Amino acid sequence: MTSPLAGAATNRRKFLGLAGLSAVSVAGGGLLTGCGEERSGSGGTADTGKFADVLPAKGELPAGLPKPDLPGVKPMPDAYSSFPTNLVDAISEKPGTSGKEISALTPAWGPAPPGMANNAYIQAINAELGTPVNFSTHDGLTYVDKLNTLLGARDVPELLCVPQWEVDRLPRFSDATKALFEDLTPYLAGDKVKAYPMLATFPTEAWRTSVWNGRLMAIPNPTDGPFAWSFFYRKDLLDAKGLTYPKTIDELFEIGKQVTDPRKGVWAFNDITKMVAMLHKAPGSKTGWRLKPDGTPEHQLETPEYKQAIEFMAKVFKAGLVHPDVVATSGGDAKDLMESGKILFLQDGPGTWQGMQAEQQKITPTFNIQPVPIFSATGGDPLVWGDWEPISWLFIRKGLAKERVEELLRIINWCSAPFGTKEWVQREFGVEGKHFTNPSAPAKTELGFKEIANQYFFISGRQPVIPPAPETPRYVSELVAYNNAMVKYLEKDPWEGIKIEFPAAYKAASTPNEDKITDIVRGRRPLSDLDTLASDFRSKNGGDEARDLLAKALSNGGK
Amino acid sequence: MVGSFLKFLALSVMVLVVLIPMWSVLVTSLASRETLAEAGGSMVFLPKEIDFTAYQTILSGGIVTRALWISTLVTVAGTAISLTFTVLAAYGLSRPGSVGHRPILFYFLLTFLIYPGLVPTYLVVTGVGLKDSLWSLILPTAISVFNLVVMRGFFQNIPQDLLDSARIDGAGEFRILLRIVMPLSKAVIAVVGLFYAVGYWNAWFNALLFIDNSDKFPLQIVLRSMILLGQSPQFSGATTGSLPPTESIKMAVVVLTILPILVIYPFVQRHFIKGVILGAIKG
Repeated sequence: MTSPLAGAATNRRKFLGLAGLSAVSVAGGGLLTGCGEERSGSGGTADTGKFADVLPAKGELPAGLPKPDLPGVKPMPDAYSSFPTNLVDAISEKPGTSGKEISALTPAWGPAPPGMANNAYIQAINAELGTPVNFSTHDGLTYVDKLNTLLGARDVPELLCVPQWEVDRLPRFSDATKALFEDLTPYLAGDKVKAYPMLATFPTEAWRTSVWNGRLMAIPNPTDGPFAWSFFYRKDLLDAKGLTYPKTIDELFEIGKQVTDPRKGVWAFNDITKMVAMLHKAPGSKTGWRLKPDGTPEHQLETPEYKQAIEFMAKVFKAGLVHPDVVATSGGDAKDLMESGKILFLQDGPGTWQGMQAEQQKITPTFNIQPVPIFSATGGDPLVWGDWEPISWLFIRKGLAKERVEELLRIINWCSAPFGTKEWVQREFGVEGKHFTNPSAPAKTELGFKEIANQYFFISGRQPVIPPAPETPRYVSELVAYNNAMVKYLEKDPWEGIKIEFPAAYKAASTPNEDKITDIVRGRRPLSDLDTLASDFRSKNGGDEARDLLAKALSNGGK
Repeated sequence: MVGSFLKFLALSVMVLVVLIPMWSVLVTSLASRETLAEAGGSMVFLPKEIDFTAYQTILSGGIVTRALWISTLVTVAGTAISLTFTVLAAYGLSRPGSVGHRPILFYFLLTFLIYPGLVPTYLVVTGVGLKDSLWSLILPTAISVFNLVVMRGFFQNIPQDLLDSARIDGAGEFRILLRIVMPLSKAVIAVVGLFYAVGYWNAWFNALLFIDNSDKFPLQIVLRSMILLGQSPQFSGATTGSLPPTESIKMAVVVLTILPILVIYPFVQRHFIKGVILGAIKG
């Protein structure tokens, strides 16, 4: 017997997409940045620059916070190389007053944590809050199925976390925000946010993205990094061969040839098409758009830079420089291949760096992955894709009493205490001696790993900083240096501050188009198909419709 | 002689095609991280050592143990309930004289063609108060029309004369069902029972939709969450820090998932072909 509800499960594409979280939002194609005022199958736009009157006033961080010792080039976050010895007690009063249980739905990636009744971490934080939060924690990869059902059935919990990359996959989301969620404008706009001082410290840009239908509808969880993709290499293995990272596109190909040795089971790359497109300076804004000199929007599929990149990738695949497991699938387990030295270069989300280094150095002490410094394949300054969309938004169920909404906001405020506060340590690591040891460089215990699944992180936000990573002492300074070098070349988004929901036909064509690109670079389709793809994109797949929408968005926004 | 050898060869190849992946799954689940690293992080075919770390990781902490009990409860109770309803409905629908059996049968068969949809199903289940209840894992899928049709076909093969003679002896419909029809239908009941049991054991989507409290998650949800570790977006603003899944953990999950069915299957196998064929040829 098969469940009649089966079949809505996730697929491999979603797995891979999520592995490069910010990547999908920028260059994965088909994902949009939010929902507009004019919501329909033909898409919609909204200029968030016009929403100043609904945004919260910017507040100061709590006094006494430690100063970051590794400053980021603005707008990149600052970083800390060590944990502070003196933690600030940012919130002295218990935020919960009613004691009435709060229902919350949040995503999780990893073993399902125990529920409230069997979870000492949740019980401890709830005791601090004064009102218990009862989490329903669900698998992040099928979270959208749950969201779709709950929104369709109009059965949402009091606190609902919606990851940024899922908004695109939720039909009529703009309408849903209006029908199902509390308008937070009366609670947070302007100086009203002073009642929740931690929320006031969030970047204004993050708040700007939380406006739907002209009203402040959600609390953002600001991102700590804008970059879509990183390109890593195994420094330890390249050093051993007397090689170093490539500085030009020709060097990339040559090094690829030098390190590929099928007899030893070693190949150079996973599928690095996105990275190569970026190196060729194909556009990446709003799923791959830029403005031509005459001011007309142009999609990457239509650009010579993208065509060059695809030609280069076809050459890479043809030369056999990509691991056969990757060639045979849409992606393969590229991380596993990188960890085991079966490939030496990996295109992945920036988040891969610390996790892989921390884990693999336990097995291979010399293990060292580093990002390849960005370069341009075509001369001049390089181009880096990225945006500042929040990680997620937190919505409050519509129709709650004013006192309840205020209590929920106080709870969220407590959870949003920044790095350097007691509340942050409690939220991140739980109870000392139980969930973590060594407060000067907290390390989670076995219980900590089991019970903590970022539950309270997903009902909060903060002024982003990069916290210390004691397991990988070099990482934070290397990340800051990398961020600071990359941010100089961050692509200017012509539609910055404009929320865009692309037409349905454009969104629907995104995955088939990507599949065709996959076929072309792997040699299953001729290169000439790229021209057909671009032509179909314009006439059949919503490309021209999207172009008109983007052009209209600029003219409406006065840009 | 040559024919027999070719048959042997062909069957051997088929057996190997089935056994080699299973062998690899088992060996990989017992491989250490070092062995996996040597194998490029993928499947291992030749065992170098036996390392139970993956099983210890999965089974420690009580989450899997609790989920195992929940899945067992749902499977046992669900199969019993499903079999009861299916036998009763199939018997009623297999007797030509039963009241309204054609419209009722048509109604059942209609659900083959028309599925109510995700949101209406959710609304009905939550509307009758089953949300976050283990009943939501059983009742929405209590009757499979496919199984009902198979069983009805089997019941129709039982000679009407036999049932009539029981009636003449004074037996009522329930007595006929319990004392005559069911003992003659062990094969199909065993097969349909296996279908139901496998379905309940493997089901996870209903739990995804209807169960909020992770303490009530069935085994498949919990095991799946272990595979997802490392597939997550990583935020430096949040602590992740958990061990990424090795291939051995994924394969240990596969072993734990299929083990109960592998244990049950040999006991039901002898009924399997008979039950399916007999039920299927009579519509």
